[in-house]
Amino acid sequence: MTHSKTEIHPYAKMYAEDAKAGKIDRREFLARTTALGVTATAAYGLIGAAAPAHAAGHAQQGGTIRMQMEVRALKDPRTYDWTQIAFFSHGWLEYLVEYNNDGSFAPMLLSSWEVNEDATVYTLNVRPGVKWNDGSDFTAADVARNIEGWCDKNVEGNSMAGRFAVLIDEATGTAVDGSIEVVDDLTVRLNLPASDITLIAGMADYPAAIVPADFDAENMTGNPVGTGPYLPESLEVGVKAVLVRNEGFEWWGYAENRGAFLDRIEYIDYGTDPSAWVAAAAADEVDMFYETVGDFVDVVEGIGWERSEVASAATIVIRPNQLAEVDGMQPYADKRVRQAIAMAVDNSVCLELGYANRGVVARNQHVGPMHPAWADVPGLPYDPEGALALLTEAGMADFEMEITSIDDDWRKNTTDAVAAQLRDAGFNIKRTIIPGSTFWNDWTKYPFSSTNWNHRPIDTQILGLAYRSGEAWNEAGFANAEFDTLLAEANSLADADERREVMAKLQGIMTDEGVTIQPYWRTVYRHAKPGIVGWDMHIAYLPQMYKVALAA
Amino acid sequence: MGLFILRRLGVMLLTALCLTFIVFWLTNLAPNLEKLAKTQGNARMSDEAVVSWLENRGYSQALPVKYGQWLGVLPGYVIEGADGEVRARCQIPGEPVEDAATFCGILQGDWGYSTVFKDEVGSIVGTRLGLTGKLMFWVMMVMVPGALIIGVLAGMREGSRTDRSLSTVSIVSTATPEYVSGVVFISVFATATFGMQWFKGTATSAMEDATFENFFLPVITIALYGMGYIARMTRASMTEVMTAQYIRTARLKGVSFPKIVLKHALRNALIAPFTVIMLQFPWLLNGVVIVETLFNYKGFGWVLVQAAGNNDIELLLGVSIVSVFVVLITQLISDIGYVFLNPRIRIS
Repeated sequence: MTHSKTEIHPYAKMYAEDAKAGKIDRREFLARTTALGVTATAAYGLIGAAAPAHAAGHAQQGGTIRMQMEVRALKDPRTYDWTQIAFFSHGWLEYLVEYNNDGSFAPMLLSSWEVNEDATVYTLNVRPGVKWNDGSDFTAADVARNIEGWCDKNVEGNSMAGRFAVLIDEATGTAVDGSIEVVDDLTVRLNLPASDITLIAGMADYPAAIVPADFDAENMTGNPVGTGPYLPESLEVGVKAVLVRNEGFEWWGYAENRGAFLDRIEYIDYGTDPSAWVAAAAADEVDMFYETVGDFVDVVEGIGWERSEVASAATIVIRPNQLAEVDGMQPYADKRVRQAIAMAVDNSVCLELGYANRGVVARNQHVGPMHPAWADVPGLPYDPEGALALLTEAGMADFEMEITSIDDDWRKNTTDAVAAQLRDAGFNIKRTIIPGSTFWNDWTKYPFSSTNWNHRPIDTQILGLAYRSGEAWNEAGFANAEFDTLLAEANSLADADERREVMAKLQGIMTDEGVTIQPYWRTVYRHAKPGIVGWDMHIAYLPQMYKVALAA
Repeated sequence: MGLFILRRLGVMLLTALCLTFIVFWLTNLAPNLEKLAKTQGNARMSDEAVVSWLENRGYSQALPVKYGQWLGVLPGYVIEGADGEVRARCQIPGEPVEDAATFCGILQGDWGYSTVFKDEVGSIVGTRLGLTGKLMFWVMMVMVPGALIIGVLAGMREGSRTDRSLSTVSIVSTATPEYVSGVVFISVFATATFGMQWFKGTATSAMEDATFENFFLPVITIALYGMGYIARMTRASMTEVMTAQYIRTARLKGVSFPKIVLKHALRNALIAPFTVIMLQFPWLLNGVVIVETLFNYKGFGWVLVQAAGNNDIELLLGVSIVSVFVVLITQLISDIGYVFLNPRIRIS
């Protein structure tokens, strides 16, 4: 290991003082410092704590795990839209950095990284000794090539371009010249035209899989070149996918005691109905779930399975689209209408009816206490009468709002709870439920609909993805110049305390504009049968199957 | 007879051609293509990206041209996309574009490529048809003998206590749709609620290794539904035969009752149920959709749902062709079967 870090980022030391003084909690401290390039071990050291030991001592080498999961078709990793795809491909296509439940970023294919004070220069140190499974060396050139690929906006559906937007030249749609610099065989330097604090978090996300030079997205299983410990054995979309250990390949993680205990990982598709998953569990056809939802938490515990839970920033938004046209007008362009909607809904009711109280109430700001720079900004008051008055004032009291949702368990129920409360407040509501197979075709365009959003580690990330003007995923049709300016400012502040002041303004705009209803943060669950270790539910659903093992 | 079969085959081809064209036209409507692009590209793709995705992959060509390419009478497209990559319809994934054949359609034996499963349509349809075939075989094994026995027993003495009780059973079973009986069976026999956890509530493992434990519930769910119907038809036909003159004559001659039923009545009574049984094949092929979904058994019905749900054009066409052939071939068999059951019918 070359943790050749002599200098610890000055902010990291400051955070350590904050953490010791109790100003920030441990998770925040870890998220902030590790994003600046401090190793998790060193970060724990700064606050006088020992890094948690790995469970390796209890793990058995070898064995098979069968996991219930939707099996989806592979495609270019940059265009991944489901973490389930990454659960299969991460067996051989690994990541530079991994994000962990305690909020820290741990090195994978990088050995360490440094970020300068205003977050404009990132120095990435490539882990030495890593090999592709075709025998060639993994070098800085591979890292640079992948980052260039992420910055290619011309690839249809490339969501990494959003995460690396700061590096992209608007005119060409590719990386700015000279921004990605290969210093030597093991060092890459990113020179950012503007500050951005989220790049490391972006590298840890599921579409950021590192692919080889002659990568062919059409033939991923036919020619599975990668750096990971597993190889794909079979892939039948919608049925089953199997990963097997790449025997004879010296994975870099073995020397580091990183795990990869299992010899074989089977993902079996039981459709989208959780009762089918429970039937599979009862019939002993699977050993663990991808995720357990809603009331099925209790059901599956009834058959003796163990629970893993983590409170995340995963959430649902039920948002009007400000640009959507209904009957020749834009009903939600008026701020008063949006505020009325937000005021007529009690978020705690949504949590209770929609998600059986398995979460924490939120304030429609899409930034929460689990984020480093969250500011304590109050939401709009719950006031159904005031809401109707506001709606009447806007002249929209007779307008029939159509609220669309996907046909599933919790998303449908939460949307139903919103619709019911709006009806109680005197709004004119129509509910539409669309099957999962077609719902996503127009998900950003529905005039008023619900969408689930995954956890993002840094507070500004989701605002950039979903609320910045003109973004592909801006489903609320929100465009606000002041918001965009403030967001750019927040993105240049590596220090969470300084950023919090800007975040307070951003969260204030989110509230005041009534951009969306974001009723609660979800606690996410996973269950497995007894006798398996290292299978904890991940806060951001990221695949880390190399940690899973049968108990010794 | 030969001419009759030939003519039937001709009709079959014509039907398949018309049906596939209709399916092709419907799946190639603009909104469906947009849906295809989004499920294949990225669910959250912009409109410009959708257009270029479709153009790059030959979906923007004229409908007759695309249909011709699929049939194999027109050469497959070779398009240099906006992203500089050359794509050819006939390219085999993992091999260079230059090696692609000129024609690749049904006529060349190439069923096309499924966009959702990323696999050859021919092999998908083959595998899934095989799995549904396995399910259907066991359903027929349980359903046909069961239904005929119930029907004959009920029909040989009309109005008797046996008749009444068996008729009630068959009416109840045929009046209970699979999605009701399936759920009831699962909750009774596959959970610990009633202390009778004898079977498995999912048939996923039965795809590889079918056992009595994991395959019984789906088989009995489908079989019971069809059984009642066939039993009713058999009973009706049996009671009619039992009142015929020649049966009375036989009884007056002193022939024993079992002998009358087996030797004189049965063959005539089976003509009507035979047609019904043959009609069950196409019904089973598509009617298993519910049971396959319920028990998570990935057969032909499941493929149909997936293909339709994802607008997988070539897979849907493959499924349609198979369906047309199964329907028409079973009809052909039932027509020919008549001749053997009833010598008065002639085909010419």
